[in-house]
Amino acid sequence: MPEAEAIRLAQQGDAAAFERLYQLHNRRVYSLCLRMVGNTAEAEDLTQEAFLQLFRKVATFRGESAFSTWLHRLSVNVVLMKLRKKSGMETSLEQVTEPDEDSGGPRRDFGAPDLRLSGSIDRVNLQRAVDQLPPGYKSVFVLHDVQGYEHNEIAEIMGCSIGNSKSQLHKARMRLRELLQEVMRSKAREERKAAGSGSGVED
Amino acid sequence: MNSSMNCENFHSQLESWLEGERTSAAESHLRSCHSCQAIVQDLDAIHSAAQDWSREEVPAPSTRVWNSLKAQLESEGLIRAHGSAPAEESSSWFDRLLPSFARPAMAGAYLVALMAGGLLLSSPGSQQMADQRWMEGTRNTTSPVRTELDAAETSVASYQPSDPVVMASLHKNLGIVDNYIALCEKSMQEEPGNETVRDYLYTAYQQKADLLAEMTDHGDEGR
Repeated sequence: MPEAEAIRLAQQGDAAAFERLYQLHNRRVYSLCLRMVGNTAEAEDLTQEAFLQLFRKVATFRGESAFSTWLHRLSVNVVLMKLRKKSGMETSLEQVTEPDEDSGGPRRDFGAPDLRLSGSIDRVNLQRAVDQLPPGYKSVFVLHDVQGYEHNEIAEIMGCSIGNSKSQLHKARMRLRELLQEVMRSKAREERKAAGSGSGVED
Repeated sequence: MNSSMNCENFHSQLESWLEGERTSAAESHLRSCHSCQAIVQDLDAIHSAAQDWSREEVPAPSTRVWNSLKAQLESEGLIRAHGSAPAEESSSWFDRLLPSFARPAMAGAYLVALMAGGLLLSSPGSQQMADQRWMEGTRNTTSPVRTELDAAETSVASYQPSDPVVMASLHKNLGIVDNYIALCEKSMQEEPGNETVRDYLYTAYQQKADLLAEMTDHGDEGR
């Protein structure tokens, strides 16, 4: 059943049509939720909530935007609401900027030792670092760099401007750089500690 | 004569650089500055790691998700088996209103409001009777549905919000929805038979109810 037909029938309450729409979109929605929250059980709950909201509102879909864009906007909204409840922070779709936003440049002073990240980033560390990003940064980074959305699509999903999307992505990447460098420093400290305690052993 | 660029200037252009907009001054600076080279290489590494992540296959959610979803949709009366006769337009429309109120705190008030709205907006019997009922119902600017929602709004206004910033944002959205409702109600008075306007008005009431429920949540947290 093509998507357009499934939407039309779903608007009339047809069960098979609902199932078809779910089949067409569930993996992408789940993937987005999973990458945003990093937890399969939570991601499944969010996926269910996103589709529940979608199917409750499907009758109001007028086709002004692509169905998938509308669905992903709902999904991002569901995830942001969840993250907001977790962190206690206000995160509206309009409010992608952070109160303490800076120019997006590196915070460290020039001349500080550089820890190169190239070749050192594995998926686990990246997910952990992404989990520490503020919700707005996290959304734009996951949507653009991981899910592959373009800025004009992100702007429509997040309800912000294209310029805002680009700016937030840059800040997200800079913040990730800091977080990942901190991971590397911790690792280096632990290795030095381990090496130091080993050399103290007497024959 | 080459204009030299310092690191601070390069950082201010970094976002554009990563988008592919490169000036000769920036390129020249990057060739000679190891610190800025490190930043660009790190950001490229992050982007590359994200791409690797995106290529990892994400399994489909478990069947529990669809099963729970389907059960919920059936319990809300939103779906019917393919081929079965569609429900009467008024009752299926009306049934779709009920699931909007997931918050028990205000569900009663909203339910009354929407039952009133459902009676006003449903079309049992002749269209003329429905139009007349609608016209009577919306003759004054405060219709019964509007009255109930306004009463709920007054109640919510008395709450101490847990987060004034959030509440201010919600109030702003409420103002926008109220204006939209007023516009739709006016259009309904001018064209009582216009189903599109009726759908828009139904959606707007639903949005207002959702907003009020959310404001209730925030008010409950602050009490």
